Amino acid sequence: MLDRTDTSLTSLLRRRRPGYSLEAPFYTSPEIFAADMDAIFERHWLFVAVEPDVPEPGDVMTVDIGRNAVLIVRDDDMQVRAFHNVCRHRGARLVHEEKGTVGNLVCRYHTWTYNLEGSLIHAEHMGEGFDASCHGLKPVHIRSLEGLIFICLADEPPADFDEMAAVMGPYIAPHNIKNAKIAHQHDLIEPGNWKLTMENNRECYHCGANHPELTVPLFAYGFGFAPEDLDETERAQAERYGCLVTDSHDDWERAGIPSRMREHLDDMVTGYRTERLPLDGEGESHTMDTKAACRIPLGAFPSAKMGGLHFWTQPNSWHHFMGDHAVTFSAIPLDAERTLVRTTWLVHKDAVEGVDYDLQNLIDVWMTTNVQDSELVGFCQDGARTAGYEPGPYSPYTEMLVDKFCNWYVQRMRARFDPAPVAAVAA
Amino acid sequence: MDAASPAPTSTGFYEWNPEEDDVLICRAVREETHDVKSFIFAPRSQRRFAFTPGQFLTFEFEIEGEAIHRCYTISSAPSRPDTVSITVKRVPGGPVSNWLHDHFRPGQMLKAAGPMGDFSWTHHPSRTGKYLLISGGSGITPMMSMTRTAYDLAEIRDTIFLHAARSPDDIVFDDEIAVMSRRNRSIRAAHIVEGDSPLQAWPGFRGRISRAAIEAVAPDFREREIFVCGPSPFMAAVRAILKEAGFDMSRHHEESFNFEELAPQEQAAVEEAAAALESEVRSWKIEFAKTKRVVECPETMTILEAARRAGMRLPSSCSKGMCGTCKSKKVSGTVEMHHQGGIRQREVDAGMMLICCSKPRSDVVVER
Repeated sequence: MLDRTDTSLTSLLRRRRPGYSLEAPFYTSPEIFAADMDAIFERHWLFVAVEPDVPEPGDVMTVDIGRNAVLIVRDDDMQVRAFHNVCRHRGARLVHEEKGTVGNLVCRYHTWTYNLEGSLIHAEHMGEGFDASCHGLKPVHIRSLEGLIFICLADEPPADFDEMAAVMGPYIAPHNIKNAKIAHQHDLIEPGNWKLTMENNRECYHCGANHPELTVPLFAYGFGFAPEDLDETERAQAERYGCLVTDSHDDWERAGIPSRMREHLDDMVTGYRTERLPLDGEGESHTMDTKAACRIPLGAFPSAKMGGLHFWTQPNSWHHFMGDHAVTFSAIPLDAERTLVRTTWLVHKDAVEGVDYDLQNLIDVWMTTNVQDSELVGFCQDGARTAGYEPGPYSPYTEMLVDKFCNWYVQRMRARFDPAPVAAVAA
Repeated sequence: MDAASPAPTSTGFYEWNPEEDDVLICRAVREETHDVKSFIFAPRSQRRFAFTPGQFLTFEFEIEGEAIHRCYTISSAPSRPDTVSITVKRVPGGPVSNWLHDHFRPGQMLKAAGPMGDFSWTHHPSRTGKYLLISGGSGITPMMSMTRTAYDLAEIRDTIFLHAARSPDDIVFDDEIAVMSRRNRSIRAAHIVEGDSPLQAWPGFRGRISRAAIEAVAPDFREREIFVCGPSPFMAAVRAILKEAGFDMSRHHEESFNFEELAPQEQAAVEEAAAALESEVRSWKIEFAKTKRVVECPETMTILEAARRAGMRLPSSCSKGMCGTCKSKKVSGTVEMHHQGGIRQREVDAGMMLICCSKPRSDVVVER
């Protein structure tokens, strides 16, 4: 058994070699998984839902984070709230469905009834001295960033969420997520540790070889390349792409659409990165024909060619906002070797399936890509279990963001478990 | 209107509250004579009636889709408070009396308001303690209520019960009056009939009501408080006789069962009661499709409450429209629902309701 206060975990954290993947126990050990849940998932802002998951008053959804059960509900004033999904009577789970609609929140066991603000409003047979006001639902911190719902299970959540939100708000707002509807939602359980899921997401080194569909809309060199490896043709393409990015940013920002890269992946507790990147082909959307999948745009954009706004958050999400639709991804660890990836496709709420968009066309690229990624994550998980695994080097050109993810992770773990002062990691 | 408040009586039962318990259920129909029936009613919940003997109730009858209001004197005694009865003589061409006789059965319900009226020795006690009750035909009902009360309470109240009927077969409550008068000697009864009946030659007084008959039955009638009830010509005849005999008419009390002949004050009360019945107290059928039960539910009562009173046990908890435990599918019908957040408009739109806070506005079918 690995004692969290023992040097085992702390020494693993301390001896982590920057620029290299993590040692095997980080991907396989149930004890380190438990430590991850404690230090990372019970103490940081997690992306778990979008406002269109609970579009109307009384809409409720559940999300389980490790040992914690959380419910998210929209109240009658259209405010979204989160509570521990646990009755204050004898602890029964309150809401059982993944999604539903309630009047009030009623425990099925003894009909203790809470309003959507979490106050206990009805409990029979509890006698004269019973004070209902002491038995309201326990709130969970919740923030909506332009329709993206983050929760934090800590008593005192990281304060720098506001700083991130102040930067990111203007980027996301034009995509009007609050006014979107969920066209499709898909849960995929990847056969790997949550960190492998995240690492896989933070690079496109593997895209060329594995994602023929995704690389139709995405430029092959959009996420870095080693210049010396390129031949003349490739170099010319890369240069054209570089110019396209610069020109596009100028155009978009002139039109009032924030687009330039902002990155704080490992120098903030609430680490994040954003950038609006041009798309290949028609340049409109993540589709096989690179054209908009939905006839009704998400927001009021100057053009259909809005590229893809990328938004990454530590520890568990990535997002793509296009002119016609958006795709959000939430990674929720299930155990040391399994991770739930929930993908949500959003279109304007007035869009009608089969009329304004073809669902298959809308979800095709990412449904296919997710399955490919899941398989790749499984390969690494399998490898991490073998005696032959040892941490390997990240590409300095295409895997910088993976390294930053690991930096952030090690830093946050050391902040929790390593009594020695943690050296700041440079951005 | 004499509305009793629902305070617990010594028996632990609640008193009947006409404001709440305005729907009476028929328990039994009794044949009194060849053309007279008594209809015995109980409240639908366990409550006891409170009234003074001689008072009447206003009923609403729905006959061929039309609401008709009629007043009937309670013939039973308040000393037997679990039920009330009215005693109705079939009237040729009378829409209500014929409907009651031909169609009204135990288990059916009627809306009723009251009790009303002060035609009672309780309100007009005799200085001498002596009473003369003169009735003609179905005018016997308030006299029966008073006499039954005195009998039940074993009162020594000098009562002469003089009843005029067409024939011996038309004497309502004949046996019961005989039993009461035999066992309580302060009750003395005499009947006067116009003629024999096919199977019975009448040995007693014959003819119509007259001074001679009154003097023969109650020679001391001048000392008595006199109560008269019967058809209008009958009451007019008694009035003339008493006046001619120099009777102190302040001690003469009469009660008509024709609305037009009621005192203006009583007419107003009846009209108010009738209006209240009509505007506030419609009752609807609630059908529970799965359990195949049908209950009556006044529109002032929640469906859950009506079901409970009918002995059904349905899932519910808060009874205030908060918890949603009683949420049920409404197959058909209209309700008025005042919930406190236990249901969403979308659920309502999808045909759901909380029966703990829904009152019917039509017949309703519930999927329960």
